[in-house]
Amino acid sequence: METSDATPNPEAPGPRPLTAAFGPPEGTEWQRVSPALALYRRLVLAALCLVGGGVVAVLAYAWAGPVWAAASGAVALSALVCGWFLAGRFQRSWGYAEAPEELYATYGVLVRQMVVVPYGRMQVVDVTSDLLEQALGLATVRVRTAASTADTRLVGLGLEEAARLRDRLAARSESFSTGL
Amino acid sequence: MPYAGPRPQPVRRPRPEDDVTAGVFRSHWSIVPARVAVVTLVFVALGGPILLTFGVSWVLLLVIAVVSGTFAYALPAWWYGTFGLREDHLVVLTGLVMRESREVPLSRVQAVDVVQPLLMQVFGLAELRIELAGGDGTAIRLRFLNRRFAERFRAAALAYAAGLPGRAPEAPEWPFYRLPFLLLLGALTFRVPVLLALVVLFMLATAGAVFFEPGVAGAIVPLLLGLIRYYWGPLVRYTDYYASLSSDGLRLRYGMFQRRMQTVPPGRVQAVRVVEPLLWRVLGVARVEANVAGYAGARQGDSAALLPVAPRHKAFALVGELFPDAEPALVPLDSDRRWAPRSAGVDARLFVGAHGLFCKVTEIVPVERVQSLRLVAGPLSPLTGRVSFEVDTPPGPVRARTCGRTAREGRALLDSLVDFGRRARVPEAGTERWETRSTLGPRGWGGDTPE
Repeated sequence: METSDATPNPEAPGPRPLTAAFGPPEGTEWQRVSPALALYRRLVLAALCLVGGGVVAVLAYAWAGPVWAAASGAVALSALVCGWFLAGRFQRSWGYAEAPEELYATYGVLVRQMVVVPYGRMQVVDVTSDLLEQALGLATVRVRTAASTADTRLVGLGLEEAARLRDRLAARSESFSTGL
Repeated sequence: MPYAGPRPQPVRRPRPEDDVTAGVFRSHWSIVPARVAVVTLVFVALGGPILLTFGVSWVLLLVIAVVSGTFAYALPAWWYGTFGLREDHLVVLTGLVMRESREVPLSRVQAVDVVQPLLMQVFGLAELRIELAGGDGTAIRLRFLNRRFAERFRAAALAYAAGLPGRAPEAPEWPFYRLPFLLLLGALTFRVPVLLALVVLFMLATAGAVFFEPGVAGAIVPLLLGLIRYYWGPLVRYTDYYASLSSDGLRLRYGMFQRRMQTVPPGRVQAVRVVEPLLWRVLGVARVEANVAGYAGARQGDSAALLPVAPRHKAFALVGELFPDAEPALVPLDSDRRWAPRSAGVDARLFVGAHGLFCKVTEIVPVERVQSLRLVAGPLSPLTGRVSFEVDTPPGPVRARTCGRTAREGRALLDSLVDFGRRARVPEAGTERWETRSTLGPRGWGGDTPE
């Protein structure tokens, strides 16, 4: 790790440079999302694995024999177990922070990302919530800018929190608006 | 800045009958007989041989039916497809059964192009394309216009977009660059893939001729198709290339079989890259491409090149004209040459990233045009400690990013770009009605306002 490079404001050596790089903007903390997000992901994953694994296992039993059926069942089960544990890490990886003029968001387990969207650049802010999300009291806020690659989502917010965040973002995108 | 080149050409004031700001307009009347003729010809060519078995009278009867039917549709469709200017809004009415009316505020225009395909050139017609930021489906295409009318309408639309009255004379222009045909030909030939393809083609053709082996055609045909796409295509498209600067933006005229006249207003260029392929660096030439919010989808490849081939200093001079009071050469770059030369830097006006060992690419994004920023750590990042940093802009050929930064460098880039962005994104930095603003307009575009 190179430590000799000159940075504008050298910080105190944190636990790890990567963690420091993905830290929240100054003066704010990461707002973490609801733990129900992990439950949501697990339920979706379980439904997919059980239904998909079951169908594949039945087909394998009919066409190839019990060994293949057991193997495909095992694959589905192991995917379920991996996904079950990853869902917790995935939920903990999400965070957002509202700086004075930008929205910061961080997410991802394998590929970790941090996105900064200035309020003035937001074109559309909308809240979506599917049936399962509604049952768990979750909602997704989606922020769109003129760059098509930067469709930023904030998942696993509480329903009221999501509505409040949307209103705040919409109001700020109005007051910081600068055109395209 | 003072301009010390040739003086602008005097602009003829439009005659009173040239007024295009009032009234409704439609395409040239000749498209009605043209459409009828095309439909009839297709009908005769496809259905004729089958119908002839029933006798000539049947063919004649059906042709008359087709002609009158097409005419009965094409005439009202032409008559009711109108457009016109209402204040600074463009109103376009189309459709016979489903009437559709679109009203476009011209202050939101991203680019205005006049396009003349070969057939339209023969008949003196042109197509006017008005690009809006919404992407592929939102461009307004006014087809089959008289060429001189199209140019006057373009001038009026740009005047409204600039915040001037529509009858204002077209802004004068300063010549910037004329591409000599020999330079275009030489630069397009002098590229590693093209030279390799030509050599292989020559060897295959020789081998085929010597050994009377027709099998070489299997390799020659794809090679020829590739050369047509990447060698003949740009050669024809950029013949007679001429770029000029005016207070309503960069004007480009080019093409032989398809004449195009593009106008990109100031502030509409979202990002620029200067590409210098390996052999072009020997010649000292480069190519400039840009992201413009209107050019989406298929039109991106057609319209993204601002300078197809130009001397390196001209290429960077154009960047300087596009982003006034910013100097890409002065941006402090942080370089890293572990695997390939790669550098990136930020100053108060620009983000500059350069990379590429063989084909050198310099990407330049003005700070006030940045849409969002992104710091990405891949699966290997915990081991290497390297992250990549991306600057998102509206879609186009330019994707400004820099890989292999240390985590601390990446975060420092992000923080400084956030900080500079806050200062650059002042509310008066918008780009609508540029002539009426003090922050845009003639300032950087070739000097003082025209007398």
